[in-house]
Amino acid sequence: MSSALSRRRFLGGSLALAAGAAATPLLAACGGGESGGNVTEINALLITGGDRYPAYWEKVTSAFKQQTGITVKYDLLQFTPLTSKEITLAAARSTQYDVYSTHTAQIGAFFPHFEPLNNYFDTAELADFVPVAIQYLTNPATGELAAIPRNMDARTQYYRRDLYEAAGVQPAKTWEELVTIGQQLTSGGKFGLVLPGQGDPAQRQFADFLWQAGGEWLDQNNNVTFNSPAGVEALTFYRDLIQKYRITPSDVVTYQWNENSAGFTNGSSAAVFDWPGAFASFGDPSLSTVSQGFATAPMPSHKTGTSCAISHALAINKYSRNKDAAAQFLRFTVTPEALVDQYKEFKNYPSRVSTADQVIGQAQGMEQQWLSDLRTTIENGKEWPKVPGFDKVSTVVQTAVQNALSDQMSPQAALDAAAEESTRILQQAGALR
Amino acid sequence: MTPKWLTGYTLAAPAILLMLVIFLYPLGHSFVMSFFRWDLNTAESPFVGLGNYGDLFTGTSFGQTLRNQVVFTVASLVIEVVGGMAIALLLNSKLRGLRPARTLLLIPPMVAPAVVGLNFRWLFNEQYGLIDGVLVRLGLPAIPWLSDPGWALVSVIIASAWQNTPLLVLLFLAGLQAIPREPLEAAAVDGASAWRTFWAIVLPLMRPVVVIALMIRIIDLFRTFDVVWLMTQGGPGNASNLLTVEAYKLAFQSVDFGHAAAVSYVALVMSLLVLALLYGIPRLTARRSAWQA
Repeated sequence: MSSALSRRRFLGGSLALAAGAAATPLLAACGGGESGGNVTEINALLITGGDRYPAYWEKVTSAFKQQTGITVKYDLLQFTPLTSKEITLAAARSTQYDVYSTHTAQIGAFFPHFEPLNNYFDTAELADFVPVAIQYLTNPATGELAAIPRNMDARTQYYRRDLYEAAGVQPAKTWEELVTIGQQLTSGGKFGLVLPGQGDPAQRQFADFLWQAGGEWLDQNNNVTFNSPAGVEALTFYRDLIQKYRITPSDVVTYQWNENSAGFTNGSSAAVFDWPGAFASFGDPSLSTVSQGFATAPMPSHKTGTSCAISHALAINKYSRNKDAAAQFLRFTVTPEALVDQYKEFKNYPSRVSTADQVIGQAQGMEQQWLSDLRTTIENGKEWPKVPGFDKVSTVVQTAVQNALSDQMSPQAALDAAAEESTRILQQAGALR
Repeated sequence: MTPKWLTGYTLAAPAILLMLVIFLYPLGHSFVMSFFRWDLNTAESPFVGLGNYGDLFTGTSFGQTLRNQVVFTVASLVIEVVGGMAIALLLNSKLRGLRPARTLLLIPPMVAPAVVGLNFRWLFNEQYGLIDGVLVRLGLPAIPWLSDPGWALVSVIIASAWQNTPLLVLLFLAGLQAIPREPLEAAAVDGASAWRTFWAIVLPLMRPVVVIALMIRIIDLFRTFDVVWLMTQGGPGNASNLLTVEAYKLAFQSVDFGHAAAVSYVALVMSLLVLALLYGIPRLTARRSAWQA
């Protein structure tokens, strides 16, 4: 064992203390294997996102206990606090939970802390899952799958069908149409489009424009390329939607996902790019003023039609002593039946191709159209790289994007500064080839 | 016969031990952590000496964060101390109808900073916020409070001052009411103006209270997080970023604990320096006066 590694564990102990987590560095050193004997209870830290989640997880865990005899004790947290807690627990090498909810966006930070699932799901089984989900939940350095996808997260274009019909326009298929239609529908305090412009959502939006402009985050050797001409074109377009064409609310630089969705549901914006969960909330009259007047379309394209395709997933804590039981729970939550049930409950797009096809085949009308649009996004989807240090690059890029959107810097200058710092970060992390 | 001192230490030992475990141990270890490259997603954590600190000062945004912290601290202190003193003097006067105001003053400090942040985010909203709504109705231009780089930090300072000025009012009011009446009456007999009385008598007698108030606020201002995070997340860009927000972003978004610890210690050292100056200047002044005497 290297001295650095033992020092890390030692420091991890203090982090655990600060977090109130039961860190056990010595056990972690042993690899946290199976406790032996029949496991009758596992602990899970699971995601919640609304009033119906507690009942849903209760239903899932009860059914699992009925089938296996294993009790799942679980805590529920919303996405952001869940991620923060998992970061703290992973740093502390905590054995508190056996199962974690996770997501493609954060998976890169957890590769060393999640148990590889290749021994629990064979290649034939994994072939049924959406390829882009498996691709980005796999550690590129080792080829090991770190989490199993439960449902896909991708965006489609939602637009006000009533306003579009009145204006005699079709949903935008290109960047140019996005601007033209947006300008046509912007007047009197109403806007043609709403976008996020702060934090992780701003990076997400920039990523879509970057790919659509034909750009990439990194090249094959992990050198930074997001400040290429394509990157500058993408960020310039993003900024111009707000500052030049003025088809969005002026303060979108303060918007995250909630404000983005609210800009559509409160009737102030005619179009939005939003996640699958929006389909249900936009159509709910108690949550939306436009429940009867919206429709969906594929994402607009430029040089490509690429948008992000990511997924909510479940993982096994590497320091768990109940890995086999945890794996049983993971397997239980991604059966076709479980995914169909999840779709019925939350309109979550299934992570299995066969189940998604089945769901789309049974859907009708606008719902089928939306699912087809979503499938288009997913089939062409990408995610930002999962290399060491990229979490920090993300934070740097978020700042750069905001600097450009708020006219503090030109897109070129903002991206160049971010690229310079990102190169240093990736060098330090050992990511450059 | 057990010595008294031993009995005292024995009785205090559990509390001292608890203090060491829950306060000094994590503090010490986070300090150690700031000298290691420690990311969640890399296997090794090599010793880098002052490397993390060096990275901060060569990065693209830390300079702006430091400037923001200085502006935020100085501006907040000026607003809170001057405003707090003015309101305290008003409440200490014999004007009628001020009793309810003293009660109302207790409300802002009792509100959770997170609630303050959320409320001000709504108040400053450019599409449907109350403040811009009022400005527009008055025929004035709307202000881009949170989306404009210049206004974002101002907005955060306003929210912070709204919450914390009343605390200083209460401290200053207690100080004013403790001032003996004789020197004030003597000044009145001598025909001193209210302004002259304030500068020559009230303020010197209030100095200990003012120093304590400044110390409390400086410590708090270097720890401010909730209000900024909920209002602007340090944005747009880094326009309202403070050291605590930077540390949070590094730890929980960049999963980079080494640099996050380094930022925390920069904040600690900065606040200690300011406190040392604050504590040291009056002592130096007092010594100089003693020598001159």
